[in-house]
Amino acid sequence: MSARDQILNQLRSNERPAEHPEPWRSRRNFPDLAERFTQTLTAGKGEVIRAANFEAALNEIDTILHELQAKRVVVNDTAPLDGLDVGKQWPDFEWFVAGKSEGDIKSFCAGADVGLSGADAALAETGSVVVSSGPGKSRLATLLPPVHLAIVPTSILTSDILTWTAARQGQPGANRVLVSGPSKTADIEQVLAIGVHGPKRFIVVLYDD
Amino acid sequence: MTATMHEFRHSAFVAIEDIQLQSALEGATHKFGSGRTDALAEVPEVEAMRDHFKKVRSATLSQLAHHLETFEKNATAAGAQVHWAATGDDACRIVLDIAQRHGVKLVTKSKSMATEEIHLNQVLSKAGIEPVETDLGEWIIQLAGDPPSHIIAPAIHKTRHQIAEMFTKETGQQVSADDIPGLTELARQVLRQKFLAAGMGISGGNIMVAETGSLVLVMNEGNGRLVTSTPPVHVAVVGLEKLAPTWDDAAVWLSLLARSSTGQALTIYTNIITGPARPTDPDGPQEVHIVILDNGRSKLIGTKYEEVLQCIRCGACLNACPVYREAGGHAYGNPYSGPIGAVIAPLLFGLDKYSGLPHASSLCGACKDVCPARIDLPRMLLELRADEVEQRVLPWWESMSERAAAFGLASPGLFKYGTALIRQMQRPLAKGDKLNLPAKLNPGQSRQTPALAKRSFHDIWQSGELDNKNGGE
Repeated sequence: MSARDQILNQLRSNERPAEHPEPWRSRRNFPDLAERFTQTLTAGKGEVIRAANFEAALNEIDTILHELQAKRVVVNDTAPLDGLDVGKQWPDFEWFVAGKSEGDIKSFCAGADVGLSGADAALAETGSVVVSSGPGKSRLATLLPPVHLAIVPTSILTSDILTWTAARQGQPGANRVLVSGPSKTADIEQVLAIGVHGPKRFIVVLYDD
Repeated sequence: MTATMHEFRHSAFVAIEDIQLQSALEGATHKFGSGRTDALAEVPEVEAMRDHFKKVRSATLSQLAHHLETFEKNATAAGAQVHWAATGDDACRIVLDIAQRHGVKLVTKSKSMATEEIHLNQVLSKAGIEPVETDLGEWIIQLAGDPPSHIIAPAIHKTRHQIAEMFTKETGQQVSADDIPGLTELARQVLRQKFLAAGMGISGGNIMVAETGSLVLVMNEGNGRLVTSTPPVHVAVVGLEKLAPTWDDAAVWLSLLARSSTGQALTIYTNIITGPARPTDPDGPQEVHIVILDNGRSKLIGTKYEEVLQCIRCGACLNACPVYREAGGHAYGNPYSGPIGAVIAPLLFGLDKYSGLPHASSLCGACKDVCPARIDLPRMLLELRADEVEQRVLPWWESMSERAAAFGLASPGLFKYGTALIRQMQRPLAKGDKLNLPAKLNPGQSRQTPALAKRSFHDIWQSGELDNKNGGE
């Protein structure tokens, strides 16, 4: 008998009827989702920059990239940036567009200064941004560079992880990650240190759309 | 390693004498404990949410075979390869086989209690494959050759000075012990090269979500993302009980996990993996393997110990436990420490080898109070103690003395003559109202057993002296 059958038979021999409880729904009702998102993410050492509209958000990104003195930037080819020719918009930087640019994405990301991404959703309660893999959406772009910059419209804000999962549709892609701040650790004498393996800075440009 | 009564006592007393360890344990457990309290207080109706979660865990375990099959079906449909391991050795063989098939020489690992449990690193090393732990705490204890001392903070027993010394030895670079960001940066640089060079990544898994065949990994450092995104092959080893039927269940699980663990609302990264990279993805692993580990778990279903499988490994019970806070994790002689370890180690690895652990508790109930799934650990500790008696796991002299005590205490006459006898026998050891017991009977020597009083209360009462003293009637 295979290990699979052996294990499943053992479990089945003690199977009993059970009533699975109805889903627990969110009790949250934040008066201002953007406000709560900003507060929580900032408390978790992330950075939030508010912008009045998409144009203003692009200006903020321009300012941040220059302030960071970035040279190489990898960008995920996804909403709201997918309609944009980043090379034309920001000619001062060397760009790698995931899914479009030629060359090895892993080695570009390993040497990039900033990874720029959109987001699928944002959770107000926990200050989290949901980033997925998919066509034009690199996992390493938001992971290997020392700075992860995400552009997020307020329309994708939801209360919390419960409201987010309740609104789920269809099968997810290979990877989906909820990012709630910059990489951190407290493994040495419980002292907080920022930026151990993932990005050292997590900056969200949150704009009204 | 094992933890019989004698071994547990011995290691606990060594730990209690270690002032540095005591202050580290106190600092970490207090920080986690108060962080948990604050984080949960912020959640609306959190007690009802915990009740709900308990029901979800219990209902899931009642029909675990069905849920595991659903998980397997959906994970396979997403392109993942699901393996089943009856024992730890089987799981190691499966992982090793995958590594060898791909000619892997270097493996990066993210923190996983399941792979600690099955000693996967030793198996890989023996086969000439280098496993590198990448969670900072896990890397520190790997360099030191130590087992983890806390489920969440595996290296709390190491000081910054010891860590700086090890890092210098490993990297050849001088680094100041007082520069913790510098130590962290050095680890980042060294391990980043390992991530990029590794042929395979190995992780554990916090939750398997049956509905979509997804695996959830939570972490703060980001190493679990690197391990599962950078190499061409990702292998996850997950205990079969870590299953959520739906995403609604997983969302409640995640709402409680980090809050109970580190006091965070969510960890920095909640990483969800559903199969390997799709053909149109710019990056990600080409293969994802999920090894579902039994290793003694399935036989607990339907027994009085089934409840222990509701555990989500948050570590809250460790932080709340007065015994863990003094004894530290190593005294438990296996990767699982604290109250959960005291129950799970005897069940998974043998009551005879871990006979000391059911006694490593004051039965105060703090562990049950803080458990997000309200697991009744004190009940199971008592059940295990009863099993020890039934299975005659205790040494003969201990069983004999317990039996003699039970016999003597049941009869007033025997009690009277027995205590009179002890009053005579204790004389050479008595000093004032204390007994100076030999070291073997009083390990640690930090407390003194009181001597039997010269006269028993019964005797004084009978004599009528109390009536006179109190004025009587």
